[in-house]
Amino acid sequence: MADLPLSAALPAAPLRTKRRRLALPALLTVIALTLVLGAPELLPTYLVNTLIRAFLYAAVAITVDVLWGYTGILTFGQSAFFGMGAYAAGLVFTHLGFSPGMALFALAAGVAVAMLVAALLGWLAFYPGASPLYGSVMTLVLPIVVSQLLYSGGNFTGSSSGLSGFESFDLSIEAWFRIAGVFLVVLTGAVWLFVRSDGGKILEAIRDNEQRCEYLGINVSRVKVVLMIACAGIAAVAGFLFACVQMVVAPEYAGFVFGTELLMWVALGGRGTLIGPVLGTLVLDVTTSYLSGSLPFLWKLLSGLAFVIVIVALPQGFTPALWSSMKRWRRQAAAPLAALELQTAEPRPLAGLQGAGRHALALQDVRKNFGSLQVLQGISFHADPHELLSLVGPNGAGKTTLMRCIADGAERSAGKLWLNDHEIKRAPPFACVALGAGRKFQNANVFETLTVAQAMRVARTRHARPSLWRRSAVLPLPAAALQVMQATGLDQHLNLPASELSHGMKQALELAMVMALEPSVLLLDEPTAGLTKPERTLIGQILVDLTREHALCVLLVEHDLDFVREISSRVIVLHQGRIVLDGTVDEVVQSELVRAVYAGGAHAGSS
Amino acid sequence: MPAALEVSGLTSGYSGAVVLRGLSLAVQPGEIVALLGKNGMGKSTLLKTIMGLLPARAGSVRLLGDDVTGEPAHRVARRPVAYTPQERALFQDLSVEQNLQLGLADARGFDAQLARIGEIFPVLPTRLKQRAGTLSGGEQKMLLVARALMAKPKLMLIDEISEGLQPSVIERLAVVLKAERDSAGTAMLVIEQNVGFALSIADRYAVLKMGEIVDHAAVVAGVAAHVADQLGV
Repeated sequence: MADLPLSAALPAAPLRTKRRRLALPALLTVIALTLVLGAPELLPTYLVNTLIRAFLYAAVAITVDVLWGYTGILTFGQSAFFGMGAYAAGLVFTHLGFSPGMALFALAAGVAVAMLVAALLGWLAFYPGASPLYGSVMTLVLPIVVSQLLYSGGNFTGSSSGLSGFESFDLSIEAWFRIAGVFLVVLTGAVWLFVRSDGGKILEAIRDNEQRCEYLGINVSRVKVVLMIACAGIAAVAGFLFACVQMVVAPEYAGFVFGTELLMWVALGGRGTLIGPVLGTLVLDVTTSYLSGSLPFLWKLLSGLAFVIVIVALPQGFTPALWSSMKRWRRQAAAPLAALELQTAEPRPLAGLQGAGRHALALQDVRKNFGSLQVLQGISFHADPHELLSLVGPNGAGKTTLMRCIADGAERSAGKLWLNDHEIKRAPPFACVALGAGRKFQNANVFETLTVAQAMRVARTRHARPSLWRRSAVLPLPAAALQVMQATGLDQHLNLPASELSHGMKQALELAMVMALEPSVLLLDEPTAGLTKPERTLIGQILVDLTREHALCVLLVEHDLDFVREISSRVIVLHQGRIVLDGTVDEVVQSELVRAVYAGGAHAGSS
Repeated sequence: MPAALEVSGLTSGYSGAVVLRGLSLAVQPGEIVALLGKNGMGKSTLLKTIMGLLPARAGSVRLLGDDVTGEPAHRVARRPVAYTPQERALFQDLSVEQNLQLGLADARGFDAQLARIGEIFPVLPTRLKQRAGTLSGGEQKMLLVARALMAKPKLMLIDEISEGLQPSVIERLAVVLKAERDSAGTAMLVIEQNVGFALSIADRYAVLKMGEIVDHAAVVAGVAAHVADQLGV
């Protein structure tokens, strides 16, 4: 087979680009820090007071942006965690008295309670298979429950009037301004590094396509729960600081109205931009506090109108709109993305293939019903390493359903299934990936907003844990994934988002992502659909090579019988949910049955 | 008689990139034109621009004699034009029957049309109440073609219809599309990776490269080798 060059080095100046990438944000951080440290003496007291509050609200808005803007979890519940932090301070200072030690205890208790509740909420809201709407409803229930509890807490929580008049840190308003300001700037900087890091891209991958993430071996539910817990902790810290400054807490701060306001600020500022929600919160909260006094009723109307206008005219929010008009004004193409070097990753031993004489894949009486329709009616077979097994059959025979059952333990209605001699039981897709399965879907199943390079790195998450604050300048990929990228020209489009790829290129990208998983059982559902003949041939060669040299077991669904004939070592014919033939390529191609149910006159037997 | 489709000097693309560069192409009534080309050359982009799903930056599109350049997609779709996109654009939660009904301009003709569809794809009439989303991938493709045929269109824009279909169904599809052209005079612009299938039904072919048509001729015996050469196969 053709030798493909394996190191496609792109013109790279990683160091310089990296410096440039960090220079502007670092400068902005320094300016922001200077401002928050130097400004309080220059500003009127009322504005200083208002800004302290806005800083803390903005910190919560950042957590909403991480959850909603970046990860796609629409949450109304961040106010509840803010309230927990605030009430921890209020309750401790009111009932136990104030001391620095008590303050530390209140902070720890508030954060701990918020994180525990977030873990519980996450567990309830993001169990595998939960719909996003259900998760959002759960986050809406939380602030309602929390504020109801606070209302019904009698003297302990102060009921509707909340707690006030407790002692707190004896600090000047200017000192609080600096503390809240530094807290916000540092938080923004840290989260900015995180969401733009290689690891942070997993959040956007989840927002784009949760299913693909699962099938890349990422435990999406766990990522969401961990994120929820971290964001709850941050919101609780903001709430604690808030109670310390204001020396008053009320149930409204934990309620869903505040939770919804946070969403509005994030939407107006521009979700998924981080800076947008911060600026949105600062501008809107400060304007509100100035105008709501003088125009109490009109202001609500005006802000409502403004919200509608912005959502209609600038659906992305202010910041992205400003950004793109600035770009147009400067007549500059998008800043050159960091150059990236593709590398060949060290081959690793295949999952679960240590022992000899094992079956890569075994099925025993696997059945699948959709209601009364029996799509699979007792499928039993096994396949070994080095086998390239093609699955052919008429449309609707159950081929894709069979693939689905192998890669997700929850799919089948009955029967047993083993991957590398591990029974998969009810294992979710990410756990099947850990057992060695890699599934390419029938339709191109990719991350639309991620670039080719970002998608490939997400696909490597299982093997190469990405940094949570850095972006790497190199991308090591297994040889097979690189070969697919080179054969289809994907390596020339590393910085192009998948949404701008053609249908065939998306198919190739998904195939490369699955190859990057280094699976031992490769499930391919029409992998070459939409690709040209030469590309098909190359991919066929890569598959043959993987099975021969690297002991892979490939299960392939294909309609191109010539392609099947060229590369398969064995063919299974599926018809109406049953295996009707299992044999060599020749046996199948010459079979009368295949001619009758599948191939038609022109195809079978010809070459 | 005006051309079924006349594209002239068409430039179009996505936010970042120009994909079509001054492309001109015509399809006459009763003619099947195969549009061939590698991935990413702009084939699907052309169909989307014709249907008004992407804005034309320059040039014009005439459908059945009317200038439709700049018309929104829902207005373009009111003409007797059927578009089968590459992605399975079915109403996944509606039944097979409901999907077929949506293809009709006039619901009264449903039974007659269904009988015709049943001859082409026998599996569909047996699944009328099934949810379209639960059909297999290949069956969804069949439903997509069937829905397009329901309307008795004068022009069909077909994007990679053979993908994912079993060989015998592809053969039957070739017969059906040719019969549709011959009996009803339907014009078709067919995008295909399956060059053999495309050339077996087409009267003319055009090869698209980097957003421009580089080769354009009638399908005659022995043309397959020449086309393969053009495509770099």
